[in-house]
Amino acid sequence: MVLYIRNQLMSPYDIYFRSFVALMALPPPDPEFVLRGTSAAVHTLHFSCAGQEPDFPILFSGSENGFVHVWNLKTRRVDTALDGHGRKSVYWVETLDAKDRLLSQGRDQRICLWDLAEGRTSVTDSVFTENVGFCRCSLLKVAQGRWLMAMAAKSLEEVQVLELPSKTSVCTLKPEVGAKLGMPMCLKLWQLDSGSQPWLLAGYEDGSVILWNLSMGKALSQLVCHQEPVMSLDFDSEKAKGISGSSEKVLSIWSLNEQQNLQVHKIHKLVNSGISDITIRSDKKILATAGWDHRIRIFGWKKMKPLAVLDYHTATVHCVSFSDHRNPTERLLAAGSKDHRISIWSIYTQT
Amino acid sequence: MAVFDTPQEAFGALRPVCVQLTKAQTWENVAQLQARLGAVSAPALQELQEYVLFPLRFALKVPGPKQERLVQSVVQCISSVLAATCVKKQELLQELFSELCTCLSPPSALNKPALLSEELKLAVIQALHTLMHSAYGDVILSLYQPSTLPLLGFAVSLLLGLAEQEKAKQIKISALKCLQVLILQCDCQEHRHLDEDGAQQCGDLFASFLPGVSITLSRVITGDIKQGHTITVSAIRLFYQIVGLVMSDEQLSRVPKNKEKLSVEQSRISELMIHRGPDWSKSTAEKLTLLMHKIVESSSVHPHWKVKLELVELVHHLMKNCRQSLVDSFSHLLKALVGLVNDENSEVQNRCNEVLQSIAEQRIVAENRALADVLSENLHSLATALPRLMNSQDDQGKFSTLSLLLGYLKLLGPKINIVLNSVAHLHRLSKALMQVLELDVTDVKIVEDRRWGSESSYEPSGCLQKGKCQKKYFRFFTEEKVFQLLQQVCRVLGYYGNLYLLVDHFMGLYTESVMYRKQSAMVLNELIAGAAGVGVDVLHEREDSVNMDDLKGSITSILDEYTDQANWYLITSIDTEEVGTEFSVQHSELPASPGSARSSVLIPSSDPHLSTRTMNGNIWQICIQLEGIGCFAAVLGKDFRLLLLSALYPVLEKAGDKTLLISETAMGTLVDICEACSYDSLQCLINENSDYLVNGISLNLRQLAHQPHASRVLDTMLRHSDVSLLPLVEDVIQDVLSTLDQSYDNQASTFLRVLYSLMAALVQWFGTSCSEEHQQGQTAEWRSRTLSQVQQQQLVTRQEVERFFLDYVRQKQIAEGNLPDTDDEEADGVPPLAKPEPNNSDTEGETPLPSHAQLAKDVMERCIHLLSDRNLRVRLKVLDVLELCVTVLHPHGNHLLPMAHRVWPALVTRLISDDPLAVLRAFKCFPPLNARGPRRHLAPPERALLPSPVRAPTYQPPSREARWNGKAAE
Repeated sequence: MVLYIRNQLMSPYDIYFRSFVALMALPPPDPEFVLRGTSAAVHTLHFSCAGQEPDFPILFSGSENGFVHVWNLKTRRVDTALDGHGRKSVYWVETLDAKDRLLSQGRDQRICLWDLAEGRTSVTDSVFTENVGFCRCSLLKVAQGRWLMAMAAKSLEEVQVLELPSKTSVCTLKPEVGAKLGMPMCLKLWQLDSGSQPWLLAGYEDGSVILWNLSMGKALSQLVCHQEPVMSLDFDSEKAKGISGSSEKVLSIWSLNEQQNLQVHKIHKLVNSGISDITIRSDKKILATAGWDHRIRIFGWKKMKPLAVLDYHTATVHCVSFSDHRNPTERLLAAGSKDHRISIWSIYTQT
Repeated sequence: MAVFDTPQEAFGALRPVCVQLTKAQTWENVAQLQARLGAVSAPALQELQEYVLFPLRFALKVPGPKQERLVQSVVQCISSVLAATCVKKQELLQELFSELCTCLSPPSALNKPALLSEELKLAVIQALHTLMHSAYGDVILSLYQPSTLPLLGFAVSLLLGLAEQEKAKQIKISALKCLQVLILQCDCQEHRHLDEDGAQQCGDLFASFLPGVSITLSRVITGDIKQGHTITVSAIRLFYQIVGLVMSDEQLSRVPKNKEKLSVEQSRISELMIHRGPDWSKSTAEKLTLLMHKIVESSSVHPHWKVKLELVELVHHLMKNCRQSLVDSFSHLLKALVGLVNDENSEVQNRCNEVLQSIAEQRIVAENRALADVLSENLHSLATALPRLMNSQDDQGKFSTLSLLLGYLKLLGPKINIVLNSVAHLHRLSKALMQVLELDVTDVKIVEDRRWGSESSYEPSGCLQKGKCQKKYFRFFTEEKVFQLLQQVCRVLGYYGNLYLLVDHFMGLYTESVMYRKQSAMVLNELIAGAAGVGVDVLHEREDSVNMDDLKGSITSILDEYTDQANWYLITSIDTEEVGTEFSVQHSELPASPGSARSSVLIPSSDPHLSTRTMNGNIWQICIQLEGIGCFAAVLGKDFRLLLLSALYPVLEKAGDKTLLISETAMGTLVDICEACSYDSLQCLINENSDYLVNGISLNLRQLAHQPHASRVLDTMLRHSDVSLLPLVEDVIQDVLSTLDQSYDNQASTFLRVLYSLMAALVQWFGTSCSEEHQQGQTAEWRSRTLSQVQQQQLVTRQEVERFFLDYVRQKQIAEGNLPDTDDEEADGVPPLAKPEPNNSDTEGETPLPSHAQLAKDVMERCIHLLSDRNLRVRLKVLDVLELCVTVLHPHGNHLLPMAHRVWPALVTRLISDDPLAVLRAFKCFPPLNARGPRRHLAPPERALLPSPVRAPTYQPPSREARWNGKAAE
């Protein structure tokens, strides 16, 4: 009874959090299911689940053997395996709107555009990046049928922004001479709201994060977040707050103030070092990190409250991704790991 | 024969006799006339009809007492005349009619058949019969005027009297036949049909007789069975004909609201006439209902099938004609009809089915709410009485009761939903089914029968029969056909009924009480089969066949419920090995709420004093659920493939169950699934869905405390698949091993089973040759036969052994503390010795182990740890597994040997100081181990045990002795 009254006072979300916290005392939760069969380390994941029936939810995974697997989440099996990167590791996949247009980036220095409609599996277009690093691209939809894609360019420190589908170069972002940033490690294109000016956040090898203004091609602000290369970052434009992880034992949370200056907001200490991926869920309530310690960690985004440690994998987790199901209760979290497995977790139903 | 063809000739011939008869009414004269008549042709006689009839009628009319014999012959003569001629005049007909009637009953004794001889009565009846047939169509109608009502009434009552009271069967039958003719329902084809008005008129007239006729007939029908079935049959026919005529919906609907005013001279007669208004028809129907109830009761159990057949006809006729007027009677009539569907006589059965079919086809019930109500009321009362009847009746009685139930449901057809929508009705019906379907759970054998598959050789997967239902034993009946009826009942329900409603209701019962769980699962299975139209026998097709999505939805929800932990993991045995560990695990884990990923982990409370009855019940529960899954697969066909995701794992789990019945049923289910989802074989099914299974196993291994059966699934997979499975499951086998590493204490025996299966499978898949050798190796002759091979083996492994030995010496010295001074020399000395090894052992040492051998090696590693388990059973099992490991590893001596050396100490301990059983088993491990790694080379480590500070030298002699004795015994 008491609980009921208290529940009345709490928002449903609070309850959700509380039960999640309570859950932490329990034995660790299990994945909803595990996808096997990539037969190589999984480097990147991307959901496409927003379609209505009879469309089935899909998960794209890119693995070290150069394949992009298309997983049907209804049958939990591979529908198709796309081989377009000459058996070189695929480390970024993203869809252009619909699930039948897929971008994949591989270590063969190519970014391929796939046409997957009606069962086709052909590469319709590709970009040769000439970049030898492993910086994932970032995609931003700026208008209907128009995207911007940021990618690491040929020369080591540069980032190039292309417009898709025309592939015309919008700008090339070069750090000041002598900045010694090293290679860009991770990129995040964002805009405040649709139609407004796009920005780019880039994490560099020396541990700094730089905010770039695309129209001026100029670095607005630089913040040294880590001592080690920035492995991954994500940014919440609503709260003007971002998070980045490196090979260290910390997560760095930083914010962007009115003057477009990046400031360190908080440093969150971790038990084990090494974060390979960070993703904030689209509702900006929680975030997930992929750890080198084989674990996935879930935090509340607002206060960085640790919610859960998902322990399943037996090797480094390379990537985490939240699904885009229309119905929030169906939403899933997927994590791909070096142990060749992709674990799928249902975060909502575990309350 | 006819001698006199022309009227003239005939007249000439007949005249003298007629004159003679007119003068003297004697029997002889009549006989003479009769004789002459035979020689007259029919057309001639027609001309002379009245002339000939005159003396005969005169003879009847002569006042004063008459000789019975005379009357009889006159009547016979009249009927022979009438038989040959037609009556063309209305007057003649009426007069003859009344004269004949008078013969039966002299005016003095009104309404009571005179005490006449039976022959005479028969003659008169026949004459009347003939008369009615000889009259022309129009002429005969003149008899059915309001004015002739008294005359008709008189005849009817006479005939009824005869039919009821006479002793002679012949008279009774004739009287009934005659009555039939009288109401213009003769069976013969000569009569032309009445037009509507005519029929209406007759109906009005007969309405006056209806009470008398129906009551008398019902008495005849329900009378002594000894009277013979012909009479009963005729009476029933007459009954339904007259009732059908008078109460016909068609006629009643045309009856004017108010009684017609008849002319003054007819007013007296019009008092006799009945106005068939609504009031009248209602009250008559009520009375008829009572009569019909009686009739149905007596004739539906009549020993003669023709009576039953006629009863069916009665129902059919009345159903056809009096649907509205007699609606109240239908509860009895339909009961009779439905009850007769399963009559032992096939003709009755067929006719019954035809009638039911026609009723269904005409959509009588579907379009008639009143009738549906009647049926649902019947159904309700039957459902109420069902449990009691099931308790008291014999199997035959139960059979007919259930046939009745089934019949109602079939008749209701799509209207079943009226019944289902009423909570009270549904409740009654379902409770009745629950009680009737109660299983007999007293058989101890069910619980005792174990599957010892893991010990026995591999089950050949090719010869599995299709999953047929396990024969169940019910508390209230034994006959299979009773169960089949119940099955049909459920299927018909599913076929017509609202599936969601039904599934919901029975799911409610399923969760409500353990008492109902088995029955409701059974009902649910049949409902689904019925809904899909599988094996359901119905009278008419439903309008809209079931929506596949609905069906899928229902099946999914049932499936979820079935495989829910609380309903799937029931305690079915008190196997100490299995349950013991489970219990301890549960107890230790209890405080930590197991509410992890799976919503509610409700392992049934572990009552240590489980009765056999409960376990038997649990076993059946699981079997029924398994059968259900098989049934769902059959229903969904290939669509079921999607559900394999959740269904296959639990079924495989049960296929590995130790209770024979469960594992058999689960195998049946698997075969069903194979067939439904069009997989070629069980192997195919397992291999193609291994991803689902592996996923389940690996996740459940994490929850070992609550999911102790995960390894069992792997066990089953291995058991029923082939070598192609190995790459698919390698991953999960590693999971199993690593889980085992974390739980040596409490789960070892569960894991050992799967390890055993794994190794046995590997031996079967990879080591056909080794396993053969291995078997032979236990016999003495083996050694001689493969001696050369052994020698070869020795050559190959010499380097290895050498290295090992040196290594060992060094280790020992280090252990003894002799290290520091000589260290440099020793250290230098070892590498050169080790160096040539790579060059030498290019055969095996360097090549990476094939996966199966690697697995065997991994398993062997675990065996080493488990060899010293506290539990004897575990130790024995480990020894078994060990033996298999050695067999698989045999071709890879370089890997086997070090392992063998590691096993050695533990094995020796088994030999020295263990239970005799373990000693024996350990001995069995020797030959393969020894054969693989030759004795000579194994000896050093054993000898090396001697100086070890742990092992006192006293341990050695028995071990050696035992070993050599063991050899000698071979």
